[in-house]
Amino acid sequence: MRISYRWLKELVDFDLSPDDLAHRLTMLGLEIESVERPGLGVSGIRIGKILDIKPHPDADKLVVCQTDVGQRDPLQIVCGAKNMNVGDRVPTAVVGATLPGDFTIGRRKMRGVESQGMMCSARELGLGQDHAGLLILSQDFPIGEDAVPLLGLDDVILEIEVTPNRGDWAGMIGVAREVAAALGTSLHLPDSSLTEADDLASSVASVTIEDPTLCPRYIGRVMKGVTVGPSPLWMVQRLVHAGQRAISSIVDITNYILLETGHPLHAFDLQKLLKNRIIVRTAKHGETIETIDGQSRSLDEKMLVIADAEHPVAVAGVMGGLKSEVGDSTTEILLESAVFQPQSVRRTSRILGLQTEASARFQRGADPEMAAFAMERATKLIQEIAGAQVLRGQLDEFPGMRPPLELTLRYKRTGVLLGAEVPPATQRDILTKLQFDVRERSPESCTAGVPSWRHDVSMEADLIEEIARLHGFDNIPSRLPMVRKTEVVLAPRETEVRELRRLLSGLGLTEMMNLSFGNPSDLEKAGMGENLKGMVMLQNPLSENHAGMRVSLIPGVLAVLASNLRRGVSDIHAFEVGNIYTKTENNELPTQHLRLCLVFTGSRADAHWGVEGAKVDFFDAKGFAEALFVSCGIEASLMSFAASGPLKPRHSAQFSCDDTVLGYVGSVSEEVLGRFDIDQPVYLVDIDLDAMLNLPRSKRHFTALSVYPPSLRDMAVVVDAAVPAEQVLQIARDAGGDLLRQVSVFDVYSGKQVPEGKKSLALGLTFQATDRTLTDKDTQKTWDRILKNLRDTLQAELR
Amino acid sequence: MIEQLEQVRVEALQEINRADSLKLVEELRVKFLGRKGVLTGLLRSVSQASPEERPALGKAANELKLQLTASLDQKFDDLQAIEKARSGREDFFDVTLPGRRPRLGHLHVISQIAEEIVGIFAELGFQVATGPEIETEYYNFDALNTPPDHPARDLHDTFFVRPGVVLRTHTSPVQMRVMEKMQPPVAVVAPGRVYRVDADATHSPMFFQIEGLLVDEGVGFADLKGTLMHFIHRLFGKDIQMRFRPHFFPFTEPSAELDILWTSDKGGGASQTKWMEILGCGMVHPQVFKHAGYDSEKYTGFAFGLGVDRIAMVRHRISSITYLYESDMRFLEQF
Repeated sequence: MRISYRWLKELVDFDLSPDDLAHRLTMLGLEIESVERPGLGVSGIRIGKILDIKPHPDADKLVVCQTDVGQRDPLQIVCGAKNMNVGDRVPTAVVGATLPGDFTIGRRKMRGVESQGMMCSARELGLGQDHAGLLILSQDFPIGEDAVPLLGLDDVILEIEVTPNRGDWAGMIGVAREVAAALGTSLHLPDSSLTEADDLASSVASVTIEDPTLCPRYIGRVMKGVTVGPSPLWMVQRLVHAGQRAISSIVDITNYILLETGHPLHAFDLQKLLKNRIIVRTAKHGETIETIDGQSRSLDEKMLVIADAEHPVAVAGVMGGLKSEVGDSTTEILLESAVFQPQSVRRTSRILGLQTEASARFQRGADPEMAAFAMERATKLIQEIAGAQVLRGQLDEFPGMRPPLELTLRYKRTGVLLGAEVPPATQRDILTKLQFDVRERSPESCTAGVPSWRHDVSMEADLIEEIARLHGFDNIPSRLPMVRKTEVVLAPRETEVRELRRLLSGLGLTEMMNLSFGNPSDLEKAGMGENLKGMVMLQNPLSENHAGMRVSLIPGVLAVLASNLRRGVSDIHAFEVGNIYTKTENNELPTQHLRLCLVFTGSRADAHWGVEGAKVDFFDAKGFAEALFVSCGIEASLMSFAASGPLKPRHSAQFSCDDTVLGYVGSVSEEVLGRFDIDQPVYLVDIDLDAMLNLPRSKRHFTALSVYPPSLRDMAVVVDAAVPAEQVLQIARDAGGDLLRQVSVFDVYSGKQVPEGKKSLALGLTFQATDRTLTDKDTQKTWDRILKNLRDTLQAELR
Repeated sequence: MIEQLEQVRVEALQEINRADSLKLVEELRVKFLGRKGVLTGLLRSVSQASPEERPALGKAANELKLQLTASLDQKFDDLQAIEKARSGREDFFDVTLPGRRPRLGHLHVISQIAEEIVGIFAELGFQVATGPEIETEYYNFDALNTPPDHPARDLHDTFFVRPGVVLRTHTSPVQMRVMEKMQPPVAVVAPGRVYRVDADATHSPMFFQIEGLLVDEGVGFADLKGTLMHFIHRLFGKDIQMRFRPHFFPFTEPSAELDILWTSDKGGGASQTKWMEILGCGMVHPQVFKHAGYDSEKYTGFAFGLGVDRIAMVRHRISSITYLYESDMRFLEQF
């Protein structure tokens, strides 16, 4: 909503600069989006009168005018416009004038003829977009006067955002009312007095409401002898400042009244209404209407329409029909000012895909009292401007008339809700200024009758909000509350997840956060098509790419990996923690699972002069997963599995703990990488965090520290290349018993030194007892037993 | 013999002391300790001494040899140091070579700020709550006093999964889910992803909010102000200016937005200072308590919701929200 500062000054007394006004309105809850000065920098514009128009000797499209701007001699001005006649008054920029955009007018020659200024269009003055021709002014504009104040070019426009609860702010009067309440000053409603003819409106036309729930009030007025013509400049100027265009007097007046009162009106050409009847009813099965935008609309049986004796002539509160539209030749009109049920207008507007100024206002709730005022005010203007003869009486059907809502306000309750004492007199005073009908009932409370335009006020808390708002949030003290604790723990895992993020970033991984959307194509590309049936699809996605919710973190991670590689970032060690979503069979909400994905590609370390560059591999990925499990106190075991999905067969493995599958580690298969346009190896870990965090953790019971020295021995054994190292280690651990404190693999070798199809594993063995120093004999005995078991089980040879 | 050895010692030490070049030191080394050197000659003659004298002589000769070797080495090092210092070519240890830095990981900027915010409220006694991102319309709207066809629904461009099921448009539904689980006192913050059908430089279809809720006896707007002012001071510093401005939310009453006075960098040394909206808040609407089964005469409370993305963008001068969820490593590694 665009508020003209000058116009507002006509409606309410205040002594605030535009910026102070903007601040004041903001602190009342009317958010100011911008403060514009459309005519800023415009000067040197005078009202001119065209005395003569002659063709340009050398240019077909130009004319040479003599324009009187109140100086001794008229100015000779070369002009390209066509819409003016001798005698017209036009805004004229004289030499030295400045126009919006720092454009200065100079004396110059146009095709050989001197031009001493410029006659202006509306757009050239910053008065909207109209550039079809010169801005022709009415004859009452005084020749030679400064056009800037006369045209309102020195006005300031405040663009406000109207919150959905305050439909009454969507009009100048509503805003003025708020200013009057806040400042305690007077409101000046515009004049709505008019002269009625003797003929009764009710003898010419009739109004019937068939559905009083959807239409609580309908007022009609009948006017004859209307001459449709251009609107006066003052009205055009206000429409333009409000961001609209002038069309013709009747349409302009309804638009103007909408700005002034916030109440939408509609004018019908009475002669196009069958039997001069207005019937407010729901649409009949199969009915259609051609709306004024030229589109044919199919109506359903819940939509409210305005019909004549036979057919719908308007979609109630949304848009009028083309057939009954007021045109240049219209002489008789039926003017509508009505109130429609917000939900019904909203529904119709949504189903028809038709959002209009009118529908927006009705959706916020119209004021039945303002409907009557708007009618009188519009009728007066039509009488003044279009010379209408107004038939006697309003055709006013008001089945929804209700006494004002009465609410009780307990002064103490205000104190509780605000945490601040506001004296009862102040509370009453605020409500009174806001035009509530306040009556004191007892020392503890009062009643407040709610004004007809305050649909947002329906309970005591609403009254308290008004008191807080007008009293000023700044005047409410602040205090830090005592926060009482409870034993309920709502999200026990949050801390762990946060620690986990910290751990991973501490270990050198960078956290990614990808959009949690997904799409079938990326899922297929990742080789995970079988998960598609679980994907939650959106009914109104933004794009194909975001067609549904992700069922795995992997496709998203691979996609961003590819885009990073395209940007030249090729060493990535990253992770993402996030939810994935799965459809449920029954009617319940889809499930949400927390997953963790680690991804590695490129170099292991940043390039450095003292470190040999090496690429990450499977064991980096696996190592991070292992570190994670250890850190969380989870004893995960690993087994190879028939890789499916994105991972490469035989280069991937599954982590589990007892019967719980924790996740996977592996190399991404070449096919999948190819489909994502990734041309370097990528290693992934994908972990079910919900499952992992549900597991019992190691109690980390203390083991006694040995005071006796360890004894370190190595053992290199040659085994079949296909024997898993884990098996060798397990045999060693079993055979080593209590004395073997630790066993590690410090070298793996296959090549010339060992037979074909074999490999050598070098084990580092640490022997230690807690109760004595081991002798060579003890150590040797255990060492021998390990070797023997390896020989027996795996046909291992000592190397 | 002993006298001879003593004489060599004196003579040699004098000559070594006088030596002024590395070359001379090496010549002296040959002269005294070389194969045909003075000391070597003397040592040979030890074998001709009587068996009684031999051990003492041998010991003395060896000591002299060690002493001279040490002297020569010392002199050599000293001269070399002088020479190096003179020529300015000391061993150069380049401390400016890049250090062998462990690879640094980066928490996502949203995680960092969300943690910081949750941490501030945790210190005040608020605990973390979570809720589903795919939510029923009931929890997302109806329970929050936003019935179907309420104009406030227009403010949220909602993603629909099916009729009655939406992607939550705010973290506020967690309020109701928490209140259904427990009786007052309630003090929670609920961080999480939320969704709206919107995409441009300042809107992402997915973004990150934190909801807060405090319900107890005697909680008033003054408590809301105090809590949020404390929070803003912690997040933006003690000097930040802020204001509470009346606003409208269906599920709070009175409702407010909190603005901070923020100076943003317009590039080229220019800056702009203006009020910037940081969060929405208000006293919990009686209708919301009714849905939760709380007695709104007994209990009052406040709620707030803030956009972590917006705070991240303001604090770190991030020009477009899309950077936050694109996982461009060059972006992530800046924080």
